[in-house]
Amino acid sequence: MQLLDIKNLTIELTTPDGLIRAVDRVSLSMREGETRGLVGESGSGKSLIAKAIVGVLNKRWRVTADSFGWRGQELSNLPYEQQRKIIGRDVAMIYQEPSKSLDPTAAILDQLEEAIPDHRLEGPWWKRSYMRRRRAIALLHKVGIRDHQSVMQSYPYQLSEGICQKTMIAMAIAKDPKLLIADEPTTALETTTQAQLFRLLASFNQLKGMSILLISHELELIARYTQSLSVLYCGQLVEAGETASIIKQPYHPYTHALIKSVPGFQPNLPPKTPLYALPGSIPVFQHLPIGCRLGPRCPNARKECVKTPALERLHNHYYSCHFPLIGNKAP
Amino acid sequence: MSILLEVRNLSKTYSQQAGLFRQRSICALNDISFSLLEGRTLAIVGETGSGKSTLAKLLVGIEKPDQGEIILAGTAVQISHYRQYNHIIRYIFQDATTSLNPHQKVGQLLDDTLRFNTQMNVEQRRQKIRLTLKQLGLLDDHAEFYPHMFSGGQLQRVALARALILDPKLLILDEALTALDPSLRAQIVNLLLELQQKSGLAYLLITNHLRLIKHIADDLLVLHYGKMLDYGATAHVIANPQHDYSQKLISSASA
Ligand SMILES: Nc1ncnc2c1ncn2[C@@H]1O[C@H](COP(=O)(O)OP(=O)(O)OP(=O)(O)O)[C@@H](O)[C@H]1O
Ligand SMILES: Nc1ncnc2c1ncn2[C@@H]1O[C@H](COP(=O)(O)OP(=O)(O)OP(=O)(O)O)[C@@H](O)[C@H]1O
Ligand code: SF4
Ligand SMILES: [Mg+2]
Ligand SMILES: [Mg+2]
Repeated sequence: MQLLDIKNLTIELTTPDGLIRAVDRVSLSMREGETRGLVGESGSGKSLIAKAIVGVLNKRWRVTADSFGWRGQELSNLPYEQQRKIIGRDVAMIYQEPSKSLDPTAAILDQLEEAIPDHRLEGPWWKRSYMRRRRAIALLHKVGIRDHQSVMQSYPYQLSEGICQKTMIAMAIAKDPKLLIADEPTTALETTTQAQLFRLLASFNQLKGMSILLISHELELIARYTQSLSVLYCGQLVEAGETASIIKQPYHPYTHALIKSVPGFQPNLPPKTPLYALPGSIPVFQHLPIGCRLGPRCPNARKECVKTPALERLHNHYYSCHFPLIGNKAP
Repeated sequence: MSILLEVRNLSKTYSQQAGLFRQRSICALNDISFSLLEGRTLAIVGETGSGKSTLAKLLVGIEKPDQGEIILAGTAVQISHYRQYNHIIRYIFQDATTSLNPHQKVGQLLDDTLRFNTQMNVEQRRQKIRLTLKQLGLLDDHAEFYPHMFSGGQLQRVALARALILDPKLLILDEALTALDPSLRAQIVNLLLELQQKSGLAYLLITNHLRLIKHIADDLLVLHYGKMLDYGATAHVIANPQHDYSQKLISSASA
């Protein structure tokens, strides 16, 4: 069944210099139990999209979409309160900034217990607080914190970044969400722990059917843990499809550059030599290039590229480029 | 090449509240010694809580060591005047958001850094700011941005700009490349390599990214619960790690 189905999501902000459109008609859909990666350059709008889905964007942003389907139901037809209730119950998010997820003024135990919904606790009400404590401890163990006693009593500033991230993951899975949005969830963790946590998330995915939207710059992780992939550049969707086939044969020059720049995918590169990178820098929203937004940096750009490319489809693979890198059509 | 940084027998213990009346002490660093040559890169890996950020904080003088010596460019570092080391050693925090003043435009921030630490005049500062922004793939327009207008990765670039603008000799990067997208990360890595070749800049790279370490670090040090395990040339450590923990760490990355 379709879990999430968003059509043409647009996120805008009025600034003193005029309107900026930070996310431009991006569509995103996920089946129940699907794991999808969301990648793109820094500032391309990934966190904005995630925050728009869970409805925590600052009021200054204007969010519009042609449709916002959630488990077969059109949410935009419901009153705001009810939308919030459904999303609040079914969707959990791990924020990119630990300070957004963790309250600096409260001990970890209080924050974690607060994240456990009542309906997740069994037994009579007078045992609730005991059960809650037990579950909080179990959650910490699940994310690999053995020393739960001292962590529970600590305040976030006393803990290393990695422990904070583990705690945030524990809080996010506390309510058994249908969809987990994880925005750079393991950046502060070393590879063994990272692998452990991904195995944990994968087991939630397989055993409980939890879908995962994984936002990450680590293409190797994305390649390993996701089934499908969406690639953003400068607020627009440039490519989407199955992860494995995109990594093997990207159609869009930006995706191609992204993959080529990862040393892990270039085993023969000698140490201390330059990595592959597109020239130039990402435009600001106030001065976007005309036509294809990658234009000024694209190695394959031709004069046709001053026209904005439409999102095209080949089987299950979407791309928006006039000159996709498909087999013999590649320039 | 001369030794830029030498660390001898460094230790640091924190005390934490454990229960209402009990304190427990956490040994964040235990007898750490290493050295770093000019123009070289030392990478530090270790699991969360192993003391990596603590080490960085001791090196730049934000925290005081309990024991040990830090010798930077030939002189022993004293906490009370760590400001004067600003030119030599710069630290980029793990969390860029917390280290930038939200009420200051980026251009202003960079200008302040130059004003407080150099003798440059207005015009020289303006030039330097433009050059630095450009080096880091930021645009002139970005000088007019406030920190909240940037995404996580863009902020990390601002932090890098602020660090590099003083032309330091040693740059400490605490997971500073992690928030960047791969293509931008490649650009910045290329810039760091170029600066190293041209001006002999040394890096202390705190990261768990073993691929990146293999690519840019000359030496590698493995920290575990505040103790040094393996330490030596990167290729050597990766090929024959002596401790079980290092072995596990290295094999998990190549799996
Ligand atoms: N007040 C503002 N004025 C202009 N641009 C803004 C403003 N606030 C945010 N932006 C822009 O909106 C975008 C926000 O993107 P977002 O935080 O979603 O990026 P991201 O894809 O999550 O990046 P990262 O990978 O670095 O986390 C950025 O490009 C930022 O420059
Ligand atoms: N201000 C503090 N007060 C008490 N304990 C602290 C303080 N700062 C750090 N610690 C403790 O010292 C230990 C080392 O922390 P540090 O931040 O150096 O770890 P790290 O290796 O940087 O971890 P990470 O990879 O998660 O960033 C941890 O156990 C942490 O809880
Ligand atoms: S449309 Fe043109 S400029 Fe844009 S990505 Fe394709 S080839 Fe490059
Ligand atoms: Mg983000
Ligand atoms: Mg740290």
